[in-house]
Amino acid sequence: MSTPASLVQAGHDHAAAAVARVREAAEGVFEALREVRDAAVACVLPAGGTRRPVVADLAALRPLLWARLRGGALPAHLPAHLPALIAGIGFIAAPGLLADAPWYLEWWQENPSGDPVQLLRDMDPASSAFYDYTHWDWYAGPSSGAERTICGPYVDYLCTDEYSLTLSVPVLAGGSFAGVAAADVFVRRFEAAVLPALREIPGPAFLVNAEGRVVASNTASRVAGSVYRGGPRDGDHVVRRVGDLPLSLVTATAGGPE
Amino acid sequence: MNMARLAVFSPVDSTARVDVVVRRLADAIAVGLLADGEQLPSEAELAGRLGVSTVTLREALMALRQRGMVETRRGRGGGSFVRLPAGLDPLARLRAFAADELRDFGDHYAAVAGTAARLAAERSLPSDVAPLWRTLDEMDAVAAAPEAAGSAEACARLRRLDGRFHIEVAAASQSARLTQEEIRLQADIGPLLWLPHEGLSGHDETAAQHRAIAGAVERGDGEQARAVAERHVLDATRHLIELRLRLRE
Repeated sequence: MSTPASLVQAGHDHAAAAVARVREAAEGVFEALREVRDAAVACVLPAGGTRRPVVADLAALRPLLWARLRGGALPAHLPAHLPALIAGIGFIAAPGLLADAPWYLEWWQENPSGDPVQLLRDMDPASSAFYDYTHWDWYAGPSSGAERTICGPYVDYLCTDEYSLTLSVPVLAGGSFAGVAAADVFVRRFEAAVLPALREIPGPAFLVNAEGRVVASNTASRVAGSVYRGGPRDGDHVVRRVGDLPLSLVTATAGGPE
Repeated sequence: MNMARLAVFSPVDSTARVDVVVRRLADAIAVGLLADGEQLPSEAELAGRLGVSTVTLREALMALRQRGMVETRRGRGGGSFVRLPAGLDPLARLRAFAADELRDFGDHYAAVAGTAARLAAERSLPSDVAPLWRTLDEMDAVAAAPEAAGSAEACARLRRLDGRFHIEVAAASQSARLTQEEIRLQADIGPLLWLPHEGLSGHDETAAQHRAIAGAVERGDGEQARAVAERHVLDATRHLIELRLRLRE
């Protein structure tokens, strides 16, 4: 049975609206990261770059980081309806950047019962089995040149124990890579931000990351965390890139399975 | 506003907050996120970083001292240091468990580790699998280093890497709850369960099981991943129970 052309058109419109919504939500976070990046550049070039930066130089980032955590005001030019998504935000220094700490994160997390808290972790691979952070995608992406990285969804057992996305951008100072500006967004909050738009799409629709991991979905058969292994044109699905972000919206073709 | 009213609206410093700090630090110590012997930041700095008052922090440190997980030295070069209590005398800790309790721990852990491994196989992508192999290669390198034989430092590193491997498998399941449970079980019994590493004698056998788990996860073979992950935990549990039964009271 063929689907009436008007319904097909309505499906396309809703899919385009969902793509716009996802883009808006992600861009809001990247906008905050660009601010952190610009502020971090000033911090890591102290005294006009005439001496090496130290941990204390990064304290100047704190007012901005606190303001961009959930509950903080969004930059004035962003749409007011954007939900505050950021649960953790900060600057991750490239190993060896700082004169007084080979490994360092200036990382702050929201705290429902008060002021934001700084992440407490021993990041030195010599004493901790865990965190050579250069292996994590949120660091490896920007350090190998990616303009915008979206890592996850993944279980963030380093900081929050939550199912999270980490968005990150490179920080370049004086022409060389100095570290990463990054923000954590809980999957459940990202879902809340985009589900109203996904729900409007008549058939099954889900958002996947560059690897095919489902980030949010309007169907229980493709819930967040599952994997979509189809290609960009596998016949049953239409795949729409979300701007130039590493995210795609997948919808079932009208009359296709699911 | 009078002082009493101000106090009403001051930040809550309940015992719950102490418990949160204790659990966060105890879990981190037990699974090696905070390394044995590592010096903690000063009380003022730690309180500031955790966002709690120094009173709360001191209470939490006292609780950790009582558990033998933190040692505080006074004077020059003093401060609070991390202690891995089971590392001091694991057999004393083992004596505190009845064989029946160990069996029950093993059952619970096998259920969590088995399910986590099955889901990891069904859901993992190459970026989830790569860390598993990296950890296993690191373990082999530690065990093979000529200076490793019998060294307490090599054993401690192997234990930490072993913990990391199992947490990475759990995280690959995409389940935050299973990952948290894996971390909690490791905190409860991990240091004992991986006792075979003492002396490195059991490394080859353990390493083979780890590689079988990683391989099944990589192939996407959920049933095989579950089976080998369960067997891995149950073998370790049986070894532990045998050790316990030979211990005189």
